[in-house]
Amino acid sequence: MATKRLPDDLQNRRKKAVPILIVLYALTMFLQAQIDPRVRELRSGEQGLESTSGGLGGEFLLLPLLGFREAAAGLLWVRCDEFFHSGDYDAILPLVRLITWLDPHAENVFITGAWHLAYNFTDSTERSDRRYIVPSQELLKEGVRNNPRIPDINFELGWQNYDKVKDYSAAAAAFTAAINTRAWKGSDDFPYGAPLKTHHILAHTYAKQGRIPEAIAEWRRALARSAEQLARDPRNFTYISLNAAEKNNIKELFQRYHDRYTDHDHEKSVNPTKYPFVIAPPKGSNIPKPWDVNLHVKFEAPRPKVFKMSGTMNIADGARLEVRISDWDYDARDMKRRDVVSKEILQKFKVEEDQTILMDTASVRKNRFEKELDMSKDPRMYSFAADTYKVIFTFNIRTTSPHIQDRHGYSGEGLMDVKEHIVLDRHIDLLGTKMIEGQDGEGPVWDGKSVPWLIDGKGVYGQPARLVRVTYKLSRKQLLGLEPITNKDVVPNDAL
Amino acid sequence: MSDLYSEVVRGSVTVWVFFSTLPLGKEVHILMASAIKIDGLTKKYIDVWQKQEVIAVNDLNLDVQEGEIFGFLGRNGAGKTTTIKMLLGLIFPTGGDATILGKPMGDNSVKQSLAYLPEETYFYDSMTGWDLIDYYGRLFKIPQPERARRVQQCLEKVRLQPDAWRRAVRGYSKGMRQRIGIAQALINDPKLLFLDEPTSGLDPIAHAELRDIVGSLKDEGKTVFLSSHQLADVELICSRIAIIHKGKLLTTGTIKELVEGERTEIVAQGSALHNGVFAKLKSIVPSVSIEGEDRVRLISTSAEEINAVIDLVRGAQGQIVAVVPQKRTLEDVFVETIRREEGEI
Amino acid sequence: MIPLAIANQTVREAMRRRVMWIFLISGLFLIAMGPVFGFLSPKDSQTVLRSLGLAAILLAGLFITIVTCIYLIPVEIERRTIYTVLSKPVQRYQFVLGKFLGGFATVFINIAAMGIVFLVLIYTQEHKVPMDMLLGVVMTFFQMLLLAALSIFFSTFTTPVVNFFLSFGVFMVGNLSSVTDSLASNPNPLVSNAGKIVHYLLPNFGNFNIQNSIIHPTIEIKNQEVFMMQNIIYAIVYSLVLLTLAVLIFDRREV
Repeated sequence: MATKRLPDDLQNRRKKAVPILIVLYALTMFLQAQIDPRVRELRSGEQGLESTSGGLGGEFLLLPLLGFREAAAGLLWVRCDEFFHSGDYDAILPLVRLITWLDPHAENVFITGAWHLAYNFTDSTERSDRRYIVPSQELLKEGVRNNPRIPDINFELGWQNYDKVKDYSAAAAAFTAAINTRAWKGSDDFPYGAPLKTHHILAHTYAKQGRIPEAIAEWRRALARSAEQLARDPRNFTYISLNAAEKNNIKELFQRYHDRYTDHDHEKSVNPTKYPFVIAPPKGSNIPKPWDVNLHVKFEAPRPKVFKMSGTMNIADGARLEVRISDWDYDARDMKRRDVVSKEILQKFKVEEDQTILMDTASVRKNRFEKELDMSKDPRMYSFAADTYKVIFTFNIRTTSPHIQDRHGYSGEGLMDVKEHIVLDRHIDLLGTKMIEGQDGEGPVWDGKSVPWLIDGKGVYGQPARLVRVTYKLSRKQLLGLEPITNKDVVPNDAL
Repeated sequence: MSDLYSEVVRGSVTVWVFFSTLPLGKEVHILMASAIKIDGLTKKYIDVWQKQEVIAVNDLNLDVQEGEIFGFLGRNGAGKTTTIKMLLGLIFPTGGDATILGKPMGDNSVKQSLAYLPEETYFYDSMTGWDLIDYYGRLFKIPQPERARRVQQCLEKVRLQPDAWRRAVRGYSKGMRQRIGIAQALINDPKLLFLDEPTSGLDPIAHAELRDIVGSLKDEGKTVFLSSHQLADVELICSRIAIIHKGKLLTTGTIKELVEGERTEIVAQGSALHNGVFAKLKSIVPSVSIEGEDRVRLISTSAEEINAVIDLVRGAQGQIVAVVPQKRTLEDVFVETIRREEGEI
Repeated sequence: MIPLAIANQTVREAMRRRVMWIFLISGLFLIAMGPVFGFLSPKDSQTVLRSLGLAAILLAGLFITIVTCIYLIPVEIERRTIYTVLSKPVQRYQFVLGKFLGGFATVFINIAAMGIVFLVLIYTQEHKVPMDMLLGVVMTFFQMLLLAALSIFFSTFTTPVVNFFLSFGVFMVGNLSSVTDSLASNPNPLVSNAGKIVHYLLPNFGNFNIQNSIIHPTIEIKNQEVFMMQNIIYAIVYSLVLLTLAVLIFDRREV
């Protein structure tokens, strides 16, 4: 066997180098152990490549593999923009998912992606596919978890609940979270955690909820902040106009608050009780009766999956009657969907194809309303796979316009229906409202003791809204026009 | 007289023992004036694919004296370059030993006095000739302005036209590249140069010039270990040569020893030579050729043979027309040596 | 001094290679494209400009480092110039060190050129000196130091083609540090040990990817200076390990 004989100096070098090598190598491992926790903290929120790879081509994986996560995300986002322009909405979803996995701090992708999910999937008459609201909100919540220092995602979550879902308590929670974002030096809003507009929209949200004293307090916080900004920069036109708008808003709110609850003769339609605790006038009461909306609804299916809603309602022009057609167990399934969010919905933004939901409104003019709802043209959105359906007509005072609220109060205290269509919106978080004394009163002062409302056996300081609601329970055959729809299909509100 | 001789021997042995016990013992070799002393140098490879042992150099023994130009001859693949690379520490032997200028081969310090021109080097061909030589000068840590002076000296010595000094080596002709190659070998004013085919593939003028440059190194007291196929060149400039074949040293000696040999051609003439003289001549020398009626040409290899032939011819009334000592070319020696080894002769 | 002389020559030689210029120009082009892409998505123009710029520097730097360093030693052997160098009083370790320093200086020049263009571009857009982006470029630079040492190490015993894929592959695996880190804490001992080996033994290139935290200003690195220093020391020490190994292998190499 031939063995090479190395010169002595090379062999000596080898003997000397080996121990040094071992020490240095051990040092790299020690350093790595020091670096690891910091890297782990930096990477929190990033999805491992094993989950990102699902359904994507290798060329998308190569870049992230080489440490180009952010650049890949950025380029994919640019590509997304093209899809927005070309209207290829389905192609956007996987990209949004991938980008937010690659770069969990891409806040605009969370916001735009969630907006896209909630607003852009529509039927042929531009009605939203509401099945996408759950994934949309879950995406926003993921964005909030990954970016606790950015108020914008919470703001978007709040706005979606305010504008699209009309869940004002969820909206208020999100806006409050946005405001409570820790102030951060690099942001435009420093020394505040969120932009001024967040206070404005939160105040509006409180007003929608009937939490008027809190709305007033929020306007006051906004005013204090804008006054501070104005003091720093008195010539800034934005600050000047914002400050003026806030003053106007708070003044209007006071006016409405005063008018709705204090003026007996206001349009003869406001609940006359001084303190708005009234659900319905007690039997035998001599208090003037609240306004009777006297709702009559007719729901027909002239052709399969094509419906006609019509009827009368004794209310001012501009009021809108909400209609919802859905599977009978839609809400229960919806809750279940939210529970399994991480597995199904967040991975693929999946909606359940066999679920049917439609929401729309019909406006009331001269006490009449009429609307055709064509669900036959969008079988992908409206599968009608269930056996039983729920058709709900609701007049909700919370979502209605201010001039109607002026007549009936923030919570519909001045409303009743001769057919006893009144139900209470038992949202748990409606805080109690107390009268303030006059236009320039001192705002909300709750005594902290009284328990005006009991909901589900718990004392809750709040005032439920009074909804006017008619619910049909219909079979698939009825919706397909094979069997007639009659008043017998109406389920009494008490039975629900 | 013999006492004096034994005294000298005993003294020498004492001195040698004394020096060899010193840590500097190896320096003694310098006194012996061997530039290269190769002792049983062997290089074996394992051919991984064929699982065969390949012997590139087999038990090579060689002694190159200081100040001589030593020709190292052999066919392609005979092991010439392998030997040089081992001596320079570029590859490592599997057996044997060698000393270069008194230091073990591969020793870094001795490289200060060495030079090597590999066969067919491309060099860093985007550099200019000047920069290239300057770079090699920096590897010897020659400071400026000494380095610039030496670079110029080397370029002049290899007769590279000055207008090419600042041009990229990429544009050089083969001859110019070879000149640059020798220039880089001279930058450190080496004591010992290993030149691998310095003159092959050149036009006749360049060939002659480069050969003269190499030859002139001897006058400067440098030792040159010249590996070459250009037997004519070797014959002209080398004092001693070695022939290596398939890793084995076949022969070594001075050119004179190898080419002159002891062959003599004798031409004899005489009408009486037919009568049995031819047969007798054949018994003295093996190589006899009869030319015509009365003329014979024969090759003898020793003085006894010559005398015997002359006696025989004269005794038969014949005439000796010519006695010519025969000189072989180096090529004859080379071809004959290799063929003999191969068993073709 | 000898390694510096070799490094100097190596840089001059490497800077003349056409393939390096192709990658440098592509990198500069990508950086310059940043504002264009930013214009396509106006809301994120800053993020796109920054992430694309850093990525361009990393991508071009990656290719320049690999294609430069894998050839430095093999080309010397192929052209036999190494005979002329090693037959002079140049130790083999000096040669390896010189080649590494030369290769790395080439990478430095390229990254510096791209970095300056990138920072100036951001300055023209935002009118402030982007210190965080400078940090990003510096991190990329040390990542490439480690990669250069890796390529040189491989080049002492593989061919350039094999080396290209080896260097690239180890760079990829080394970038999966978050995956290997999570594997290391896997309940299955087989998996966790494999994860640990990859995580701690292979050069961990993922450590240097701080792009996310500097692109998004809301993400904060705790003790940023310490983190940076640890990474820089890691790169230097690991490079020393690789270079020492490279020298030990090259010492035995027959050229």
